[in-house]
Amino acid sequence: MMLAPPISQTPAAADATPSAAAAVCAKGLCKTIDDRPILRNLDLAIPTGQFIALLGANGAGKSTLLKILSTLLAPTAGTLELFGLSARRDAASIRARIGLIGHQSMLYGDLSPLENLVFFGRLYNVETPRDRALHLLTLLGLKDRAEDPVKSFSRGMAQRVSIARALMHDPAILLADEPFAGLDAPSTAVLERVLRNLHDAGKTILLANHDIAQSLRLAQRAVILKNGEKIIDAPADTLDADHILFRMERDGA
Amino acid sequence: MNAINHIAILVAKDLRIEGRTRQTMGLILILGILIVSVLGLGLSSNPQVAALGAPAILWVAYLFSGVLCFEKTMAVERQDGALAGLLLAPIDRSVIYAAKLITNLLLMVTTAAVITAVGLLFFNFSLAAAPLGFVLIIAMGMIGFAAIGTLFSALVSSTRLQGGFLAMIVFPLILPLVIASTQQINALFNSSAQTPGGTGLAILVAFDVIFLVVSWIVFELVLEP
Repeated sequence: MMLAPPISQTPAAADATPSAAAAVCAKGLCKTIDDRPILRNLDLAIPTGQFIALLGANGAGKSTLLKILSTLLAPTAGTLELFGLSARRDAASIRARIGLIGHQSMLYGDLSPLENLVFFGRLYNVETPRDRALHLLTLLGLKDRAEDPVKSFSRGMAQRVSIARALMHDPAILLADEPFAGLDAPSTAVLERVLRNLHDAGKTILLANHDIAQSLRLAQRAVILKNGEKIIDAPADTLDADHILFRMERDGA
Repeated sequence: MNAINHIAILVAKDLRIEGRTRQTMGLILILGILIVSVLGLGLSSNPQVAALGAPAILWVAYLFSGVLCFEKTMAVERQDGALAGLLLAPIDRSVIYAAKLITNLLLMVTTAAVITAVGLLFFNFSLAAAPLGFVLIIAMGMIGFAAIGTLFSALVSSTRLQGGFLAMIVFPLILPLVIASTQQINALFNSSAQTPGGTGLAILVAFDVIFLVVSWIVFELVLEP
């Protein structure tokens, strides 16, 4: 299955909005939940168009960071800007540029993929949501099941619909929280291709993943978290999976 | 205009899911009819008492079926993290509240129509004296009830405190509303007055306004993915 550039509706240059600001600029991010620090004084700058792998053991703070970046969670302290917009003041504008793939599908099981996608497309004011939905479902190999209820789908198929949901509004940045979890080999291959195509189309991607080798293969840069702190931030091609694993395991997770 | 459009999209989605599963309507109808049937049969030996107690008994049925309705409509958003998908959309949280409130009201009013029809059979209670007044008073009570129920269903659904907890929170809060509504109906049907009015009506209006405004404002704070 070919996933050609049409998966994105905007050319790479058009994403550098507003005023070519960095996709993400986080300073001193902290998040405490029930008196337990989840993120500690995290600085993160992501230029527009970069593909970043976010690695770390369970509980390192990856999912929390993605939730904060997607404006679903507010940080306890620190400042966050996406595309030059303040996450505190301009959350709605930021959300229009974000696509999030999470642990859960974020879909309505009683609706079909087409109904789900058209529904979310209309919330994002997508001009022709049905056409866009059918286009994405075709690219993700689900056009034949477009009318079936999502609750009848396997985990891999539901995840593909979830990816389509995250891409319905052609977001400038895709946040993917362990999107490969539970996927079979064909679905994994499809998702890898989608991510590569999105990156080629100039989208910014932040991928939280447990498969270190896969992440280093896909991403340009790797950020490794441990106990809510950034312990490594380097180009992916300069890093070694064994070294990352060693650093993640040293002194406990 | 965009907000109204988004509310319409959200309500249409809720009704489409409900139309497909009939989960909420089925449950709340059964519960409501069961309540009026059991209480109606219990009071059937004394028609006068049954007629006097009809408004209160109908409200008991509205309340329990309403709480079930709030839980069910919010549960749809919690399955597979659909609520997070909504919260990610560039729409105001108050739009989500308004849509959920309208969905709840539509389901509750539809259910109330059936429950009331069944109740009238059991309670020897005729609406002929003031049908519009009855509908108006019940509708005003429902608006306040749905306003507060929608808010707290969002709050409770994000916690582990489910299964009856919503009723424990909501029932005491709306007690003044229910009392005012019941008294108004009794006044309407047991006196020569043909239109509702006075302090009871003022209480209904005041509670509706307070519950709507406060819930609208607070909803954003309680809504967690």
